[in-house]
Amino acid sequence: MRMTGFSYLIKEGFKNVWNNRIMSIASVCVLISCLVLTGSAVLFSMNVANLVDKVSDNNETTVYLKDEVSKVEAVYIGRDIEKLKNVTEAKYFPKEEALADFKSTLGDEVFDNMKNDNPLPDAFKVTMDDLSKYDSTVKQILKINGVDKITSQKELARKLASINDLVQVLSIAIVLALGVISLFIISNTIRATMHSRRFEISIMKSVGATDSFVRIPFVVEGMVIGLISAVLSTAALFFLYDLLMEIVTSLIHVATIPFSSVFWFVAGSFILAGLVIGALSGFISIRKYLKKEGNEILGW
Amino acid sequence: MSNIIEFKNVSKTYDSGTHALNNCSLNIEKGEFVFIVGASGAGKSTFLKLIMHEETPSRGTIIVNGTNVSTLKRKKVPYLRRNMGIVFQDFRLIDKMTVYDNVAFAMRAIGARPSAVKKRVPYILNLVGLSHKAQNRPSELSGGEQQRVSLARALVNNPSIIIADEPTGNIDPEMSYEIIGLLSEINAQGTTILVVTHEHQLVRRFNKRVIEIEKGKVISDTKEPVITDEEVEFDDSKFELDPLPDDLAEAIEQAERAVEETPEEELSQSAPETTEETEEAVSDESEDKEAQQCE
Repeated sequence: MRMTGFSYLIKEGFKNVWNNRIMSIASVCVLISCLVLTGSAVLFSMNVANLVDKVSDNNETTVYLKDEVSKVEAVYIGRDIEKLKNVTEAKYFPKEEALADFKSTLGDEVFDNMKNDNPLPDAFKVTMDDLSKYDSTVKQILKINGVDKITSQKELARKLASINDLVQVLSIAIVLALGVISLFIISNTIRATMHSRRFEISIMKSVGATDSFVRIPFVVEGMVIGLISAVLSTAALFFLYDLLMEIVTSLIHVATIPFSSVFWFVAGSFILAGLVIGALSGFISIRKYLKKEGNEILGW
Repeated sequence: MSNIIEFKNVSKTYDSGTHALNNCSLNIEKGEFVFIVGASGAGKSTFLKLIMHEETPSRGTIIVNGTNVSTLKRKKVPYLRRNMGIVFQDFRLIDKMTVYDNVAFAMRAIGARPSAVKKRVPYILNLVGLSHKAQNRPSELSGGEQQRVSLARALVNNPSIIIADEPTGNIDPEMSYEIIGLLSEINAQGTTILVVTHEHQLVRRFNKRVIEIEKGKVISDTKEPVITDEEVEFDDSKFELDPLPDDLAEAIEQAERAVEETPEEELSQSAPETTEETEEAVSDESEDKEAQQCE
């Protein structure tokens, strides 16, 4: 195919978008909502994964003591824990400190009605040397008198990871469903263009235009719609994400991924998705017309 | 001269069961001008569709420009059509484009270079005498002019065959002669022309080969002699008048006798009182005389 003819057809594709602007705007809106929803799901999943990573890095295990254990007994228990081979450090973490920690994370108000009653147990924060021996070390700790239970960040990490798995499955489902919806909407838009341009299509075919030549303007139209949607979606997600993260961080103290670090990832994926969905819509909708001949194209 | 179109025992039956063409064989030579005539539903349109590969034959072989169209692969069809220029009855011009762009569109659609378009389109518009209307919209032109634009579009890719499907169906007779005249000129340059029409008057005016199709069969394939305007319009020698009914003839005779017997003065006075019956009789008689003279 010569490039000269090609540039004319690309121009025609842009013209289609403009001539059919109401339908184009509708398609852009639908595609934006699809992309933003998909993007949000993916970013949420990325944030959870990020959290899981951070939690997993921190190999501290919390050993809770029974309520009846006194401060003095606790010191002995701490020594017993530190005597274990795999333990490098056992740091005492009294319940007062735990409460203060909670208050700083969740806010004072939550604990107002508790008055002086602290339901939290005393604990030790234990750091292990070799995490592969984690399970046997935990068993040894549990044998020590006065130890109630053990929770580790590993557990939390495991739970978060399972949430993340769920989020990922959900986002794939969202991506697929919305992808199909946008494909459908855009191909309908293009079909409307095609209907208004059926004369041109029939003439193109009668003068001997190849299928790809007939197809190009419509594929380009889809791609232009996809591209516009991608750019607007990136901007929309930027504002939405910042707003959402502000709310999240004001509620819980978690480290979130700043948008700037994922900007190119988001913009790149959106553009790619927009172009692919757009081109595919063009392809699908013109297929029906390419099979027709002469007056059939005009619906006569 | 070699054949540009060959039909060998071609039959076409549509899915609906309609037999549009029935064992049809014919050859059209390069550079010929052929009229295809026949009543509607005779199979003319199917004939054209088969040539353009809009339809494929149910049986038989069609060869266009040395290519067997019956077995042509879908991908090759566009290249077959580049040898053909199609003129439609309803012009099929795109009204949001200027006349120039309508013609240029046919070139652009097959990937012509912009420089080639710039050179060729004005030349073709000049050929059909529409250079001055290049920037007009088709809707601003008369029917004849629109058909000339359509013709320009068919010509612009320099096809070896022009296929015109009822090109004069939507334009007045004066313009029709002009369009066929233009096609004749193009034919003189070596392009094969196929014109489907049902206007016998038009066919008689041009001394061309006429293929008549009826019920899916070629029923005649002749070269009709040229008949001048005069002959066409005044040749009513073929009309034979029936003899007058007896009572009417008698009435005429009586009236004639009465007129002869009546003095001239009286006649002029009584003229307004002439009955309707006599008037009719008089006019019939004069017509009869005229007819006899022609014989």
